[in-house]
Amino acid sequence: MSLLILKNIFRIYQIGDIEVRALNGVDVDVERNEYVSIMGPSGSGKSTLMNIIGCLDTPTKGGYELDGMVIHQEVKDGTGIASDDQLAVIRNQKIGFIFQTFNLLPRMTALHNVELPLIYGGVPRAERLERAQAALEQVQLADRMHHKPNELSGGQRQRVAVARALVNNPSIILADEPTGNLDSKTSHDIMDLIDNLHKEGNTIILVTHEHDIAERANRVIHMLDGKIHEDNKKK
Amino acid sequence: MFNQLYESIVIGFKAVFQNKGRALLTMLGIIIGILSVSLMGTAINGIDNVFNQTLGMFGDDVLYVQQFPWFMGNADWWEFRNRPQIREEYSEKIAERASSISYASLETSRRVTLSYKENNSEGVDLGGRGWQSAYIDAAKIESGRYFTQLEDQSASRVILIGSEVNKILFPNVEDPCGMSIKVNGLKFRVIGVFAEQGKIFGMFSIDNMAVIPFQTLKSVFGRSRWITIPLKIREGVDKEYALEEVRSITRGLRGLRPLDKDNFAINQQEAMEDELGKIKTSISAVGIGIAALSLLVGGIGIMNIMFVSVKERTKEIGIRKALGAKRWVILIQFLFEAIIIALIGGLIGLGLTSLLVGVVNKFFVASMSIGLVFTALGVSIGVGIVSGIVPASQASRLDPIEAMRFE
Repeated sequence: MSLLILKNIFRIYQIGDIEVRALNGVDVDVERNEYVSIMGPSGSGKSTLMNIIGCLDTPTKGGYELDGMVIHQEVKDGTGIASDDQLAVIRNQKIGFIFQTFNLLPRMTALHNVELPLIYGGVPRAERLERAQAALEQVQLADRMHHKPNELSGGQRQRVAVARALVNNPSIILADEPTGNLDSKTSHDIMDLIDNLHKEGNTIILVTHEHDIAERANRVIHMLDGKIHEDNKKK
Repeated sequence: MFNQLYESIVIGFKAVFQNKGRALLTMLGIIIGILSVSLMGTAINGIDNVFNQTLGMFGDDVLYVQQFPWFMGNADWWEFRNRPQIREEYSEKIAERASSISYASLETSRRVTLSYKENNSEGVDLGGRGWQSAYIDAAKIESGRYFTQLEDQSASRVILIGSEVNKILFPNVEDPCGMSIKVNGLKFRVIGVFAEQGKIFGMFSIDNMAVIPFQTLKSVFGRSRWITIPLKIREGVDKEYALEEVRSITRGLRGLRPLDKDNFAINQQEAMEDELGKIKTSISAVGIGIAALSLLVGGIGIMNIMFVSVKERTKEIGIRKALGAKRWVILIQFLFEAIIIALIGGLIGLGLTSLLVGVVNKFFVASMSIGLVFTALGVSIGVGIVSGIVPASQASRLDPIEAMRFE
């Protein structure tokens, strides 16, 4: 059974009188432990798709199932949409985010940043600390755990973000241009880290516009004008 | 749930302390508001104390026939000034004729200097009182005794002194009874010391007085223009009845005709109670007015700073929501920030009040009650909630994608 099923997804913005179809009928299935990269020019809808998969945004129409749970149900004239708070719970438990701009909280230590999803998940303090430390060790940052983001390099910051994405054992890890703000050497390191996560059994969806990065995945989806243009699976 | 609540509170605290200066300025309104509320409460408490002490001085069941009323209001002072004097013989006549009165006495006073060896107490209020005052005065005697009827009638040179006077004249003497002091140079024998009464606006307290028999005062210093006739109401007699009886007898003594206005006053403690009530009401009105206004301004200030805080932290809110913070978690975080600002403001206000109360206490006994402290803190929290709820709710509704894009 698929881990993620998107059925006939539309995301339509109304800007004044103009209707913008950011997603115009998208169908995607992703299996467990797949490594998918999404490519496409800007405005093709790849970020909107990521936001909907990440439960940060809701589709105008269409169905979405994640890990056996119906998140948005396709109904006749639209979608049975989850509430804000329901989506927050799904994000907290099922999804790990890695953002282009890291999105760490600047006034907190690396450890506390990694703990955050567990705090919102209601994990008791002792277990929380243990799991956050383990996640930081996994990204080889055990010695930097009490540093704040401005005391870390770009690559180290992104590692903290990766640790944060891992810490809640998500069903799926979403990486939105994870190397967009990094030099090529560190980009390489971070991508190696993400490759490793895949090897360890995680399901990964990656948005990028760099071919060599996209090629690391075993499935590349090309988006164009809010639709899936190409969907190539490697052997 | 508890973890998230704790996290929210900690973040609220940090947010306030990261912007100390800004928070302090924001608190000003609350500080002034709480200051005026609690000063008002303290002042009213002080007035109540004063009142309770005056109870110790003026008996509850005593009427005072005098030329002037205690509280003149807007009336013409000259009208009272030009009234005929209260005469000494009224006392005896009222006692004879009024069935509702058990004792009638006489009171007058003048300023004198008391001295014992090299110790001087200047400007002491020396009261001359009739021997019946022993049964009328509420002031307690700590050691010694009141003077007798015989001592009054024979104009004996005996004196009772207040506790402050005692301290000045006899700093090293345990009991001055039986010792001789000088009143404006004339020798008097101390026969009693009044119990300490405490401060009442720093004035008319028995502590700074001395008392000698009325006849003694008359024979030594001459006839006094101002005489008060204290009257003790017989036990079980209705006060209103006694008042009416005394009034008609006094009118008779004055030779007033039925339609003439009273040309004397019958004062009683109740009048003082009413007057203090009026003072309390006006203090409350002013205090509540200032407090309401400054709390309103303070509340608006907090609301304003909270909108700024929400704006500044838009990205942070977006990240927190993306990681799974529910609306209430964000709401509580900002609500706590507002409450903390208001509460600290309230605490500072209370702190300042207690400093000021220390100063006020030099004039009369006043204290901040526990109830007042809780009220002030409750009001602060209320202001924090009211002014924080709108910005906090706005923060909790932010769209995580939009919010994370915010720089």
